[in-house]
Amino acid sequence: MSSRILVVEDDERIRSSMRLALEEEGYEVDDVASGEEALDHFSAQAPDVTLIDLMLPGMDGFECCRALRRQSAVPIIMVTARTDTHDIVAGLEAGADDYVTKPFVAKELGARIRALLRRARPAEEEPRVLTFGDLELIPEQGVLRHRDGEDVHCTRTEFRLLCELATNPNKVLTREQLLDRVWGYDYFGDGRLVDVHIRRLRTKVEPDPALPRHILTVRGMGYKLVP
Amino acid sequence: MTDGAVAEAPPARADRLRHLLRGPVEVWERLGLRARITGLFALGALLLSILMGGLSFYTASHFLVSDQINASIKQSLAGTPTLEQGLAVPRADEFTLLASVNSTTGATTSVLFFGGNQYSTNTFSVSINDLPEGLRTLVRNGTPATETFDLNNHPQVAVGIPLPTVHARYFAIFDLNDLDHTLHVLALALVVGGLVTTVLGGLIGRLASGRSLRPLTAVSRAAVAIARGDLDTRLRATTEDPDLTGLTRSFNLMVDQLQDRIERDARFASDVSHELRSPLTTIANTLNVLEAHSSELSPRAGQALELLGGDLRRFERMVAELLEISRSDTGSAEMSLEFVDAGELVRQAVAAGVRTLPEAVAPPQVWIDPLLDDTILNVDKRRFERVMTNLLENAALYGGGATRVAAEPGPDRRGLPTMVVAVEDHGPGVPLGERRRIFDRFYRGQTAGRRGASTGTGLGLALVAEHVRLLGGLVGIEDAPGGGARFTVELPVTDGEEPG
Repeated sequence: MSSRILVVEDDERIRSSMRLALEEEGYEVDDVASGEEALDHFSAQAPDVTLIDLMLPGMDGFECCRALRRQSAVPIIMVTARTDTHDIVAGLEAGADDYVTKPFVAKELGARIRALLRRARPAEEEPRVLTFGDLELIPEQGVLRHRDGEDVHCTRTEFRLLCELATNPNKVLTREQLLDRVWGYDYFGDGRLVDVHIRRLRTKVEPDPALPRHILTVRGMGYKLVP
Repeated sequence: MTDGAVAEAPPARADRLRHLLRGPVEVWERLGLRARITGLFALGALLLSILMGGLSFYTASHFLVSDQINASIKQSLAGTPTLEQGLAVPRADEFTLLASVNSTTGATTSVLFFGGNQYSTNTFSVSINDLPEGLRTLVRNGTPATETFDLNNHPQVAVGIPLPTVHARYFAIFDLNDLDHTLHVLALALVVGGLVTTVLGGLIGRLASGRSLRPLTAVSRAAVAIARGDLDTRLRATTEDPDLTGLTRSFNLMVDQLQDRIERDARFASDVSHELRSPLTTIANTLNVLEAHSSELSPRAGQALELLGGDLRRFERMVAELLEISRSDTGSAEMSLEFVDAGELVRQAVAAGVRTLPEAVAPPQVWIDPLLDDTILNVDKRRFERVMTNLLENAALYGGGATRVAAEPGPDRRGLPTMVVAVEDHGPGVPLGERRRIFDRFYRGQTAGRRGASTGTGLGLALVAEHVRLLGGLVGIEDAPGGGARFTVELPVTDGEEPG
């Protein structure tokens, strides 16, 4: 079964060419020209991955990102013409899982999409339960919940990041290792991806995100999880 | 001089004077403003001290000498009554008399001319003939007189007194050696004083010129900083001096406009690159689709597609690199510094660089000096990766591919350790004359063994230089040991252990 991709892009030419190229890569593609249309389309048919251009007329990419996040944990890749820290961090803060910079080709986009969708389907393994604080994590079932059974909502990328940290408790994982295992980047991936996602994760699993007790920063090295 | 020139003697002399002065005038004009002001102050002080010293010396010596002469006259006159009385007595002993008068007057020597004989208290050295002729004549004619003269190189003053009552002439000679010595000391003091004044004048001139030239020095320092690329340099309006605020204001205005222009130019390049990215995305993706179906195309169309693809990638790189370079031109380059292991950084960067090269290019051998174990760099990894990628690509394009990448400790800079990463190839090398220009934008070597099909963007090495500059390092080119080029990148090493 091929993955379904929603492309949100106002430039008709780019939209058409991306549809062509992504279909060539074997994806099913839906494309819309604005953030509002994207939200409508989303409720009609949920995609596996959403691609959002940050510069959209009307509702801009950031707002669209936030709106989608409110209703879904779908992986979002933002498309930007600028590589300024401000835009990228703002996009990640708005809920994007990853970003690509124009000009990009469907091939490299395909690599990013595959990385985001990896392990999205549960493996046929005996489920293990990892615990830290008063939280339970079942990687194979994609479950994160409080011991009292209340689910904690997080995106797929946040979940996988948490799994990486939780399966190696008390061990420092470098940004490079996390970029490689969660996003499929090599040594030169963008460390900001990790930093922003860690920050978002903390707001969900830490009692006090400003004074983290479980997900700790090891300065100059990386991050570690303390149960 | 020719005959014809004789008639024009006066202008010729003026010419000669001008000719003689030309040398010194040229030297003077070649001197700096500060040196000239210093020189003028010193010259002024010298002239002033010569004038004042000369005047002082003249006045003092005149006063002292006349004072001494008056004293001599008074003393000589004090002895004359004794002499007149003594000589009035018949058969007087003239020598004894003269000796006693000599001691009364305090003269050095007394000479008496009496009754056709002359008597001297110092017969051996002083006779009447040693006295000045004018004085003797005056006294012989009955006029008392004084005159200074030299006797055996000693300055003397002689007082001549006619003694008409006894038909004698008396001369008292006083030694002026003490006075002379005093005047010598005075002259010496004045000369030394004059020299000290000259030096002081020069010093004051130097200080004053330094002070008045300080705004100019500030301007030139600011101009140098601006030329170096530090466009935020401005002159500070430190004084309320109306002579200087104008200069400061117009200088700063000039730099403002210059900066504005440079930023506008740089922004334009950046905007152009941004605008080009959207159509490029379309073209690149469309081409991807075409390439996936290239087997369905005719050979001619396939060839055309291949050409198109090759140059599209080059165009993409150009736009990306132009954007990269304009970003550092506008000063909006962002650094994301991380602490990383030196060896790991180099290995990974080479691996990343090799991935971008065509598969036909053999990967270089990587050697990390064991001395670099545990060496930590605080560096922007992606920037360093771009440096290595571009250097490896440059080697592939112009040097037949990099043969070796070596990282080793570099020289200490300002007491801080460095690391040198060298990328070597076995190509033709880079001629000395091109080594600086090769880092210029769009400069391509004249003698490089370029590979026909895939040429670079012309910005690769310029970006290397730019990135390395932003990383606080240095780039260089040497000859590789076995022939070929050796590009070196020197980076600062964080001191000691990785911080907390």
